Amino acid sequence: MTALLELQDLKVHFPGRGGRSAPVTRAVDGVSLTIHQGETVAVVGESGCGKSTTGNAALGLAPVTGGRILFEGRDLATLRPAERRALWQQMQVVFQDPVSALNPRMSIARSIAEPLVINGWPADKVRARVDELMELVGLNPDQRDRRPTALSGGQRQRVVIARALALSPKLVICDEPVSALDVSIQSQILNLLLRLQRDLGLSYLFISHDLSVVRHIADRVCVMYLGIVVEEGPVTEVFAHPHHPYTRALISAIPRPDVSRRDRGSRILLKGDLPSPLNPPPGCPFSTRCPKAMPECSAARPPLEQIGKDRQVRCIAPD
Amino acid sequence: MSLLEVTDLAVAAGSLQLVDGVTLDVRPGEVVALVGESGSGKSLTALSVIGLLADSLRITRGSIRFDGVPVHGAGGQDMADLRGNGLAMIFQEPVSSLNPLMPIGAQVAESLIVHGRASAADAAQQAVRMLGRVGIPDPERRAHQLPAELSGGMCQRVMIAAALISRPRLLIADEPTTALDVTIQAQILDLIRDLAEEEGTAVLMITHDMGIVAEMADRVCVMYGGRVVEQGDVHDIFRQPRHPYTAMLLRTIPRLDHPPKQELFAIPGNVPSPRNWPQGCRFKTRCDRATAQCDATPALSEGAHRVACFHPLSEGMT
Repeated sequence: MTALLELQDLKVHFPGRGGRSAPVTRAVDGVSLTIHQGETVAVVGESGCGKSTTGNAALGLAPVTGGRILFEGRDLATLRPAERRALWQQMQVVFQDPVSALNPRMSIARSIAEPLVINGWPADKVRARVDELMELVGLNPDQRDRRPTALSGGQRQRVVIARALALSPKLVICDEPVSALDVSIQSQILNLLLRLQRDLGLSYLFISHDLSVVRHIADRVCVMYLGIVVEEGPVTEVFAHPHHPYTRALISAIPRPDVSRRDRGSRILLKGDLPSPLNPPPGCPFSTRCPKAMPECSAARPPLEQIGKDRQVRCIAPD
Repeated sequence: MSLLEVTDLAVAAGSLQLVDGVTLDVRPGEVVALVGESGSGKSLTALSVIGLLADSLRITRGSIRFDGVPVHGAGGQDMADLRGNGLAMIFQEPVSSLNPLMPIGAQVAESLIVHGRASAADAAQQAVRMLGRVGIPDPERRAHQLPAELSGGMCQRVMIAAALISRPRLLIADEPTTALDVTIQAQILDLIRDLAEEEGTAVLMITHDMGIVAEMADRVCVMYGGRVVEQGDVHDIFRQPRHPYTAMLLRTIPRLDHPPKQELFAIPGNVPSPRNWPQGCRFKTRCDRATAQCDATPALSEGAHRVACFHPLSEGMT
């Protein structure tokens, strides 16, 4: 089976301020991942780990310094601009904040219709398609002339999802799609994403800092720390038996809505802050906070190694 | 004897009610979580207690007593004394809550100096000690740095140090970890809990995260639509929620022990804005137990586990 999206050793480096000698920020420093049709791959990690930059690079919104991005086996870098644009129709995005993603002066129908209009759809077809999309995401087509400000946060995110689906993409990159929503609304939107995937065979690249949400919606998870993947595998296995000390700490840090778990011994508390991506520690970037760090850890960056059937971990002494 | 007693508090912006009859209490040394979604009135309740409501907002009803003394109506010097001696607050955004032009040591020391509790030199020394206690490495040197030289997690530690240096009896924490990464959040929650335990400080923790409530709180106060809908011991709230909103909220959270990719329980409808609050029970439009009776406003029941509902879940139902 050909992968839908494949990132091979993707690198996004941003030049520092102050000319050629300034330090380079290695926002993404060699990320590889594969998404098949109908699959959800989540990228998780804390701020500055490069998860959003990874998604942006796939969308052409961040400069690719190295590596390859393949969509259905075709290398984006080798395509002519027209071909690349056609291919990007297959790849859409839903961002965190539905307020800034929608033009407040446009009716929601016009916002949803925009990709269709740009692609030269005739007016009558546009109208029918917009109605269809609104129903698909659980909006009443009677609301088509309303402005985004007249809608709640959850409804606005439905509008953004409808617009992303207008051109029937195969892949939707969801960057923190429920983080700005109220708790009681999050589950509505997660259910919608799950249903759309089932009905339309969509694939998601799901970027999130919220591990409970990721555990619920993803098939596979890719844990990032300071620009690199430290662990990757099926979501249930990674959560049940994390191999990388960072993954373990991350999972144990999630506050759980469970009063029987109030003993503190079960939590791994990491010391210190995330190091600056401008100046990452040598060797394993997690070594400065790792409870199991050894002198060898700061000597060289460990390779991402296969563990078991389909898991990978980047640690010289995995759990 | 309660340390903080809020009774029937109402806050309005002009004719628009935003908080509508909140009653809650915090006892010495306990952690009370005030939970709610956007527009529930949880933050305005906290700001009313500490006297920091925006000028456009007014307390229109009710009373707030701290250590038996009325707070609401206390103006000028009285309120300043209260903030110096009994009450302190930390906010969600540590970076914007600190003065960007003032070294962090001076910001931590400020309340001691302003309230005449220490000389400048003594306050500076105490500030360095306090910075060390909240886990700032190398506090002597760091005390001279500006907030911009510190990470978000470090800035939140500075704010906690500034709040706790005057040994308040009640710390109000408004979403203190929402802007932080999860591994840093765990550090800050542990820090708040340890310091509160050591000093016997009571904490009123405002949050939307039921996970944080379960791990931190002794008692819980659930707000919806400007009112308290349920209040009780944290174990009772999680094991036997009685208000349909609390019960539904707990069911809607994705959990690590659930099978993945299954439909989650979802509360229908939207969180109503204060402009669109329904008559009577504010949750009735989203509630599967609502009847015509819910067009009237349910009162908060008495006792240890209180609920404001005409059709509460009976104990042992969930």
